[in-house]
Amino acid sequence: MTGPLYLFDVFGFTTSLVVAVAMGFLFGFVLERAGFGDARTIVSIFYFRDMRVLRVMFSAIVTAMVGLIALSRLGLFDYSVLVEYSLLPTYLWPQLVGGVLIGMGFTLGGYCPGTSVVAITSGRVDALVFLAGMVAGVWVFAAGFPLWGAFYKSSDLGRITLWQVFGLPLEVVAAAMALMALAAFFLAGLGEKWAPYDKAGK
Amino acid sequence: MNENDYAKGLWNPYVAGVALGLVLLLTFYLMGTGLGASGAVSRTAAVVGHAVAPQAVEQNGYLGGYFKGGKNPLIDWMVFEVLGVFIGGLVASLTGGRMKLTVAKGPRVSSGQRLAMALGGGVIVGIGARFALGCTSGQGLSGGATLALGSWVFMMAVFATAFIFAIVIRREWV
Repeated sequence: MTGPLYLFDVFGFTTSLVVAVAMGFLFGFVLERAGFGDARTIVSIFYFRDMRVLRVMFSAIVTAMVGLIALSRLGLFDYSVLVEYSLLPTYLWPQLVGGVLIGMGFTLGGYCPGTSVVAITSGRVDALVFLAGMVAGVWVFAAGFPLWGAFYKSSDLGRITLWQVFGLPLEVVAAAMALMALAAFFLAGLGEKWAPYDKAGK
Repeated sequence: MNENDYAKGLWNPYVAGVALGLVLLLTFYLMGTGLGASGAVSRTAAVVGHAVAPQAVEQNGYLGGYFKGGKNPLIDWMVFEVLGVFIGGLVASLTGGRMKLTVAKGPRVSSGQRLAMALGGGVIVGIGARFALGCTSGQGLSGGATLALGSWVFMMAVFATAFIFAIVIRREWV
């Protein structure tokens, strides 16, 4: 059957909520097994100790990216539906600013939203506090919305992909991404050997 | 690199990554969208805020939209997905022997200091995820795998900032 099934009305909203719990279960299980249930394992990437965050994320992205192309070639997935209806839209500047903020909060807090959940279920009190902080952060954002609401909706480029920006076929950009991932894996190994904080600190 | 008790028995990162990618792929095949997390936090904040100050939240330019037409913000795909993350994370931490009531912190800070930093970091991520329309799951993994322009800009910004900011706050972790 050709996907995405939900967008082709193969099942309805109620069933989609069951799918949500099931996919969330697998997501949470793998995140914990990947080591994302503890802030120390996560932030060790930024200190060149154990760069598994980079390895896990990049290999996950490449797996799903290649998988979607493969399914589409096999006629099992309609890639154009994804691009036209469900791709995440780009708001360039707000996303850049949001990225900088998350980069800071991620390092300081030790988690991102998803990993804080599996850390809470691993008994990490700091993750629970982090989640409370995020909720408060949403309130801050909402309270200041009159101030930055216009910026939040600015530089709206719509649903746009990297391959459309570069004017290249999807497969070419995907191959470049896969090569970039391999290079990143190689550099991660070098970074762990370098381990600047563990030599200078002692 | 020494093995710490909290990092014992983890999957090989490439195995975990491919497994995560397959879950993401299956989600795209079924739903057309990927996995996320911060949307559920936003909706939780809306509902908790609404319980305290219903009028202020309904009139708010951002959170008000969640309640338009008498809708319940918690009847939402991503809220149910994150509910699943809780269950999956719990099953994994219990079966993996990594469930431990503790504060994850570096050797040079007290638990109190670490909790204060976790709170501050949470607030910043909460604000940032609204501007970015997502977090490392939604934008990073899902947007990344579908090669969305904004998602890659976001990810580059996250990791570039994080590596630099990590130097500034290194006392927290090393």
